Amino acid sequence: MELSIAIFIGILYACGVFLLLRRSIVKVILGVFVLSNATNLIIFLAGGVERGGIGFVNENGEPAAAMSDPLPQALVLTAIVIGLGIAAYILVLKYQYFKVTGTHDLDQLKNTEQK
Amino acid sequence: MILSGFIILPLLYIVVSFFPLGLRARQWGAVAMTVMNLLLAVGLIAHIASTGMVKSEMGSWQAPYGIVMVADRLSALLLLITALLGTALSVYAIQSMDTERQEKGFYQFFAGILMGVNGSFIAGDLFNLYVWFEVMLMSSFILMSHGGGKVQLGGSIKYLILNLISSFFFVAGIGLLYGQTGTLNLAHLSRIIAEAAVLPSSFNAPLVLIAIAFAIKGALFPFFFWLPASYHTPPPAVTALFAGLLTKVGIYSLIRFHTLILRYDDAIWNDVMLWIGGLSMVIGVFTATSQYDFRKILSFHIISQVGYVVLALGFSTRAAMAGAIFFLGHNMIAKTGVFLVAGWVKKRKGTLDLRRLGELFSRNKWWSVMFLIPAFSLAGIPPLSGFVGKYAIIKSGIDAHHTTAALIALFVGVFTLFSMLKIWIEVFWKPMPTAIEPAIKGGEGLMLTGAALLALATIGMGVAGAPILDYCTEAANDLFNPNGYVEFVLGRGGV
Repeated sequence: MELSIAIFIGILYACGVFLLLRRSIVKVILGVFVLSNATNLIIFLAGGVERGGIGFVNENGEPAAAMSDPLPQALVLTAIVIGLGIAAYILVLKYQYFKVTGTHDLDQLKNTEQK
Repeated sequence: MILSGFIILPLLYIVVSFFPLGLRARQWGAVAMTVMNLLLAVGLIAHIASTGMVKSEMGSWQAPYGIVMVADRLSALLLLITALLGTALSVYAIQSMDTERQEKGFYQFFAGILMGVNGSFIAGDLFNLYVWFEVMLMSSFILMSHGGGKVQLGGSIKYLILNLISSFFFVAGIGLLYGQTGTLNLAHLSRIIAEAAVLPSSFNAPLVLIAIAFAIKGALFPFFFWLPASYHTPPPAVTALFAGLLTKVGIYSLIRFHTLILRYDDAIWNDVMLWIGGLSMVIGVFTATSQYDFRKILSFHIISQVGYVVLALGFSTRAAMAGAIFFLGHNMIAKTGVFLVAGWVKKRKGTLDLRRLGELFSRNKWWSVMFLIPAFSLAGIPPLSGFVGKYAIIKSGIDAHHTTAALIALFVGVFTLFSMLKIWIEVFWKPMPTAIEPAIKGGEGLMLTGAALLALATIGMGVAGAPILDYCTEAANDLFNPNGYVEFVLGRGGV
């Protein structure tokens, strides 16, 4: 289980980096989203993945037979919420940039570059 | 409890300022908030100078299980300087920012940055540090692109994407570290790593990832490219805020992480710090000499000056650490001070291109002084604060037998002086090449007040150099005794 998730994370990172290196801003932004989810999965994996494992104790206060570490799940939840906020913001920024410049091309960003 | 105040105060301001209060109430509300923040910071530093450390456990959940906020002497000093910069900038922004931006939320996001920076300085565990980074970054993303045209939006996209990548490095490092240690509390991590006699090689990946994340945030070589590509695009008050606070949070985190965790692996890390610091200093200062834009020169100097701090971290002696802390504080004040003058020039003349400016000295004596003081302080001229900081770092470098590195630091200082004199000659001294009409009319008394506050602070820090350096030495002693920090946070017993 853990191995397959690890391989999956690797594939996600590869896709994310590939998208980041594209010239179109939209693809770069999609790359950022993919990387963000790959990173969330790393935290999720860090706590150890247990099939059917639950992250809480039962009503008598005893841990269940198959128990998962609840902390990474809480951390991932925080990271997902932050990621969502950033995703919304970055899309608005892209939209505004497109309205002002009429281009998707990263090479057009050159004019703010230091000479 | 005093620590929560640093979070609650800006948060309260953000909430209250969403009510329809009118611009004036919002402006002076921001000034009142930053002054209260300053008083709180003075109270904290007075308390900490006698007791050493303060912690606050959220919801009374004990560390390492709950969220803990810790402030030691280093945090308290940086909180005080942040509060000082906040006060100066909130006064300055009233006349510097255009009304439209002020009406559409400048002050809310200003308070957001203040909250994120304060939170980062007192975060007691890595994940909280990440969350405070994000609070700070979200506000900075918005301020960076706020009301901008083509150039500003282009700068924002680069700033945003590179900072997001650094966040991913950080979170991935946090995940891997948690997987191996089962904790994210900095004190607990430090104890676990100290108890492991030999650090397993599987720790290298998370440590490197987190160090890279801090290096990107701190704009160190070779990760600094986002900074000069974006810092000259937003309004000057925003650049001044970013220059004073954002990169310094990255450097603070690096100091904290180095003294608590990387020190147990210091065979490599000290050399890494020396190289990264040295190269940042040299490359930053060299690239600055070829620039002809006021703010671009200063942006490249940020890279050079954070390099000093990291270089001193690499010397890894108590004296060097004390010098690094002093220099970090000095740099936050002086750097923001010169950016404030850049903001005034921009408002007066509508451009920051050195070739089109001139002759400002003859009509604006006060502003010229406001530039000269922090600029000479950055270059390291006595009796200003930069001299004390550079002296402490270079002397400790020679004492620690890193003579070459110390000589490079001296050499870089000469180039800093060159760049500052270049700005002085081009902007204030030479005859005006072409007549330029003032861009925006309006008062500038409050702008001058803000700049004067910082100029006085840099003089004060230089004149009172000895007692402040003593305080920094105590802070360095705390940092070099991580067990003190660990025992204070976790209690004496084993967890």
